[in-house]
Formats: sequence, structure tokens, C-alpha cells
Amino acid sequence: MIRRKILITGGTTGIGLALANRLSVRHDVIVTGSRAHEDITEAFSPNLVYVRASQSDPARAVKTIAQQLLKHEWPRLDNVVLNAGVGFAVEDGLDEVAKMRRTLDINVSSTMLIARAMYPWLSKTKGTLTIIGSVAHKGHKRFPSYAASKGALNGLARSLRSEWAGEVAVQVLHPGPVKTGMHEKAGLNPGWVSEFFIRTEPMARMIEYSMSSRRSPITLSWSRYIGGGSITGRRL
Amino acid sequence: MRALVTGGSAGLGRALCDALLDDGFDVISVDREAPSQKTEAKHIACDLSDRMTVDNLLDKLEADEAFDVVIFNAGISATGKFEDIEPEDHLRVFETNASAPMVCCAGLIKAGKIAEEGHIVFVASLSHFTGYPGASSYAASKDALAIYAKSILKPLKNKHKISVTTAFPGPLKTEHAARHAPSEADQERRMQPEEAARLILADMRKRKAKSLPGGTTALLAMAGQLAPKPLTFAMKQIIYKKLDRTVAD
Repeated sequence: MIRRKILITGGTTGIGLALANRLSVRHDVIVTGSRAHEDITEAFSPNLVYVRASQSDPARAVKTIAQQLLKHEWPRLDNVVLNAGVGFAVEDGLDEVAKMRRTLDINVSSTMLIARAMYPWLSKTKGTLTIIGSVAHKGHKRFPSYAASKGALNGLARSLRSEWAGEVAVQVLHPGPVKTGMHEKAGLNPGWVSEFFIRTEPMARMIEYSMSSRRSPITLSWSRYIGGGSITGRRL
Repeated sequence: MRALVTGGSAGLGRALCDALLDDGFDVISVDREAPSQKTEAKHIACDLSDRMTVDNLLDKLEADEAFDVVIFNAGISATGKFEDIEPEDHLRVFETNASAPMVCCAGLIKAGKIAEEGHIVFVASLSHFTGYPGASSYAASKDALAIYAKSILKPLKNKHKISVTTAFPGPLKTEHAARHAPSEADQERRMQPEEAARLILADMRKRKAKSLPGGTTALLAMAGQLAPKPLTFAMKQIIYKKLDRTVAD
């Protein structure tokens, strides 16, 4: 088994953290997040290297990540998981301007620029770039800007996968609702429906198996979970 | 009747302005450049990639009367290898094509500046169905716009009786399209912007959710939905492999 070098953005909460903790058992993992290290209260594996790089300023996030990779003497990466994302619920289809821009900056502009900047790192290993989308990428009336941002990532991955074929495997994964607290943060109480949300650990397993398959696009929904998506697959 | 068209100085935008003027609309065109020909449309200079300028534009429009038709048509591109295009150019494409229209749309409706029974048109791209290797940030921006339009369609219809139409034009016979195509590409088979404008406005009046101007466009969109991977592969062969330079607006 090869010990991989892996970068995961948005790795201090939710599925990013679950994936980082899981992969750090057998691989070297750098995670990025927007908070100060001491403010991370979640179970954070001591094997993880933390880089603070808020994606609300795309150009600065890219610079910080590139600098930190060089500082830790990581000249190549086997996997990059662009997972950081935010969303805000709205009542009548109309978002606030500031929140719209924040959603698009973090979810799309930063993801786009980090993907571009990581090309030299990934092409050295013929590695895999994994973009985390959402089942909302086809549209959602309660999350218009969030859905638009995930639609953009779906389109970015589709075209970039074709551009980089043979050099870097680009894939987009569309998770269904997960028990991460993202819905509450977004201002939406999912109520009893949340009983059917997938837990973060099985979702992280489904993501890992999808990463090793290098296929795209893959929807990581409830039906895939029921079909055994979190227990069958190849580990990285 | 008042209409607002972004990117109305050239190409499809100008054709849309002309068609609306012919129908008796008072037309306001927002464009970073002045119109290329004499027109009755009122021009507001605004670079939609600049957030401060967009905020000023919104303030100005919110102080004015409501519009019956608003067409978010302005779009720029950056073509070449994704990794060779400057980060600032990728950002400018996304700001202009996706963030600005989304922000302006929400802002205008909140301020009550799109009349009840009014129309909104978002000009996305046929790339939404085919993918676009060689313009990945452009493809992403147009997908954002198409999905945003789809997401707000029902809330706007139910609450404000405003219809939302998303147009997916294929390559048009415009200077802009020619600049971004491979140099050997055949320009003659492209649709005239006037023809595309006529078809898009007809779909808007019918309050259709989607406008696929022209038979070929509709056919390609269908093919892209039935067989997305072969279509993107074909786009790579036709465009990406023949791109001989990096071009950004």
C-alpha cells in the first residue's frame, strides 16, 4: 500500500473532518479550515496537519495553501479533496447579496483557483482531484445560491475532467443530506426528515471508495447507501 | 414598458435591445463599453466584474422605475488550458457571468423593481448541456446561472407572478464568439444574433422556462442530456484540441 499525500479543504467539520480523520490513519493528510486551530472543538486526529486558510478570499486562500505545502516539503499530492462549502436557506427564493457572494466565493471561486493551483502537484503523481458537489446541483428553491454554486462545480468538473484526461483524474461527488449540522447552520430545521440523513462516517467511507474508483460524476445518496455503498468498495 | 438588458452594446445583447426597441420598449443597456452603433437605447456604463460598480448600479436602478423585462445577457469568456489562464481572468468570468446577474436579480426583485407579471431572462449557454473543455470557468459560470434560474423559478412565479426564462444559445455569429473559437473554426454556419434574439424573446413571451434557439441547438441539448460523456468528448475534439492560444476578455 502506498502512503498517500492528501489535501482536504474544509476539513474541520462535517464530512471533510470525518474523511480526514479516516484517511489520516494510513495516509499523510493536510486539512484546511477557516477557524483558528484552538477553536476546533471536534475530534481532530493528531495525525492531521492543519492549515488555516479561509476561502472567503479566494486569492489569499490559494496563496496560503501553496506556501504551506512548500513549507511542509510536499512537492506532490496524490489526492486533493475540495470540500469546503457553505449554504444559506431562504424563504422566497431571494438571498441577501452579501450571503450570495460569500457562498459563491467559498464554494466556487476558491475551489476553482485551488484546483488550478494544485495542477502541478497533482500531475506529478497522475493524482485525483475530487470536488464535493451536492444533490442540490440540479436546483433547489430553498437554497438558490447554494444550488447554483454546486451546479457550477458540477460543470467545472465535467469540463476539467475532459481537459485533464490522462494527467489528473477530476471527479465530482454529489452527497445527499448528511447529519453534519449544515442544515441548522444554513437556517433550516429539517425536522423528522433528518432521521434519514446519512451519518458522517458512512458518508466518508462512500467518498473514499468513490475517490479510489476515480469515476465521475457519482451521486452519494440514500439509495447508494442502502445498496451497500458504504461497505463495499476499494480503500485508498 | 421598460426593459433592462445587460451587455447590450454588441452581439446578442444589441440584437435583443433592437428587437425590444422595435416593440416599443424604453430600453436601458448596461455595458462596460459604449454601443458600437447608434441606438435609441439608453446606455449605463458598468463593469459587472467589479462588485463596487455593481452595488452602485443597483442603487441607481433601485431609485428608478420598475422594469417589465430584465435580460441578463452580459457574458465574457476565458478560453485556453484551464491551468494557463490567469486566476484573475477565471475570477472575472465568474463574477461577470454568474455573481453579478444573480446579485442584480435578487436585488431588483427585493426592491420591487421588476413589475408583477414581468419577465426575467438569463442567457446561459448550450455548454450547460455539452460541457466546454477549453473554457471550464465559463462553463461553470453558465451552469451556476442556469441552476440559479431553475431554483428561483417557482418562488418568483408564485409570489411575484414573474416568469423566468433561461436561454441556452449555441455559437452565434458575433465578434466575441469568433475571438474565442479556434482560428480554423467555420464561422458561416453560426446563427445570426438577430435570429437568436427573436427566438429567445418569443419564448420569453410564452413564459417558457427554457429557450433553445434553433433546431440544431435543441438537438445538441437533447444529445447532451442523453449522452453527456460522448458530447463532452466531441467538444474536446472540436474545440479544446484545436485551441491555439489563450484568450481572456
